[in-house]
Amino acid sequence: MNLLDIRNLSIELDTPSGRVLAVDKVSLSIKEGEFRGLVGESGSGKSLLAQAIIGVLEDKWHVNADRFHWRGIDLLRLTLAERRDLLCRDIAMIFQEPMSCLDPTTLIGEQLSEAIDDSQFTGYFWQRKKQRKEAVIKLLHKVGIKKHSQCLTSYPHQLTEAICQRVMIAIALARQPILLIADEPTATMENTNQGQIFRLLANLNQLKNMSILLISHDLENLTHWTSTITVMYSGQFVEAGTTEQIFNKPMHPYTRALVDSSTKANLQIPAKSRLITLPGSIPILKHLPIGCRLGPRCPRAQKTCVVAPKVTSFHGHKVSCHFPLFRETRRKYMQKQQVVKGTE
Amino acid sequence: MTVLLDVQEISKSFKLKGYWYHKRTFTALSPLSFTIEANKTLAIVGETGSGKSTLAKILVGAETPTQGEIYLHGQLLQKKRFKQRCQHVRMIFQDSGTTLNPSLTIQELLDEPLILNTDLDEKERQQLIHKTLQKVGLLGEHMNFYPHMFSGGQKQRISLARAIILEPQVIILDEALAALDPSLRSQMINLLLDLQQQMGLAYILISHNLGIVRHFSDDIMVMSHGKVVESGKTLEIMRKPKHKVTQRLIMSQNFKLK
Repeated sequence: MNLLDIRNLSIELDTPSGRVLAVDKVSLSIKEGEFRGLVGESGSGKSLLAQAIIGVLEDKWHVNADRFHWRGIDLLRLTLAERRDLLCRDIAMIFQEPMSCLDPTTLIGEQLSEAIDDSQFTGYFWQRKKQRKEAVIKLLHKVGIKKHSQCLTSYPHQLTEAICQRVMIAIALARQPILLIADEPTATMENTNQGQIFRLLANLNQLKNMSILLISHDLENLTHWTSTITVMYSGQFVEAGTTEQIFNKPMHPYTRALVDSSTKANLQIPAKSRLITLPGSIPILKHLPIGCRLGPRCPRAQKTCVVAPKVTSFHGHKVSCHFPLFRETRRKYMQKQQVVKGTE
Repeated sequence: MTVLLDVQEISKSFKLKGYWYHKRTFTALSPLSFTIEANKTLAIVGETGSGKSTLAKILVGAETPTQGEIYLHGQLLQKKRFKQRCQHVRMIFQDSGTTLNPSLTIQELLDEPLILNTDLDEKERQQLIHKTLQKVGLLGEHMNFYPHMFSGGQKQRISLARAIILEPQVIILDEALAALDPSLRSQMINLLLDLQQQMGLAYILISHNLGIVRHFSDDIMVMSHGKVVESGKTLEIMRKPKHKVTQRLIMSQNFKLK
């Protein structure tokens, strides 16, 4: 069963010149035990989507969706308090820059024990203190910190960034969530630490069967860890499928460009040759193109692209493009040609 | 090929707090030497604290080396003569958003190195700025814009324009490609490679991303704790890494080269 099922989620922003559609009809579903990657360049609305899921957006953002279900419960019908109760038990989120997310004036041990709620303990109240401490140490062991006593009595600035991120993950794990949302957890880290954090997330996913939504701007770093990937561009859904489908047979011109521009995927091309990229850059929120937002940069764009394409699915590989990169069946191709002629 | 930049036995150590008779020093760079030819790229890889950025700062003149000399075309680069050095060695930083002065227009930004280092009059300077902006793929009209009006990729192009406006021979890229989005990054790589062909530039690339290093560089230097542990042709080292540090770096990125 789907844990999280989102259909056509739109997020609008109130600006002085009217409402702007920041996220335009994005669908996302996460199954139990799935490790999903959410890829998009900066400004593609991926963090916004994550914040909308856990419901921490400010009032100026308006969220609408056709379906927004968490384990069969419609989240949009719940009141804010009910929704908060439900989600803070089941979903946890970690952010980029762990150093700035932890309280610099409080010891790590206190911050951790704050996150553990009383309902996990049994026994009399005088046993609580001891149990709490044991639980904290257990959490630290879970995220791979062995020197727990040293870690508990230090402040965030005394630890390295990778350890801080581990502490953040430990805090997130305190309530034993079912889904962990990681918003660029390794953005400011170097590669060796990055690998450690990803490995920890993969371990949690496999051993504890926890679902993970990993948000990143870099496709090539993700592919080794995730099982499924969703790609977004400028607030629109682009493509979703398993990692192999996305990386080996991308159907959307944008995903194709992402894969082509990755230097790791193109080890066979000679050094110092030109990389294939899309011209231009991601449009800003004030000047979004109509229809498919990739339109002005897309090498395959045609007249029909001024209408936003519908999502089509090929064996679970969903793509949102009028002219996906594969040979269509003859009949469909003819139909599309007629549509093109009709608009002319 | 003639040697462009010749670095000989450069080292850097910092004084730490200590007592009179227990003066302690921290060695950021152990003596190292290397040479770069025109049209070539040298990549420097290593963990944080391995002395890559210190080396870059010494080359560009922001720090003075404790020992050692740097020769450009066989001519000694003197420690305090910035005018000579800035014309030949330029640097691009990681975060272009914060390295551009937000209160100056692009024209004023690019004017500064010209006023300080050349005797061109105002009209010539303006023409040169116009030409340089077009070279990096921007429009001449962008001269009158402020940095906040540009996107991240465009800002990085402006930093590049500021670097090449004096027609240098060596450009140091200190993680200049790390903060960019993938598609902008490959645009930037293409641009840098084009400029290298046109102007015969030598690059010193400091990067974590081995994919970029593989694609971009001819030679590689692996550093760890201020020492060079391995150096040579990029492809050979990536195929057969000998030192532990190199092997670990390649392992950590799941990087396989056939």
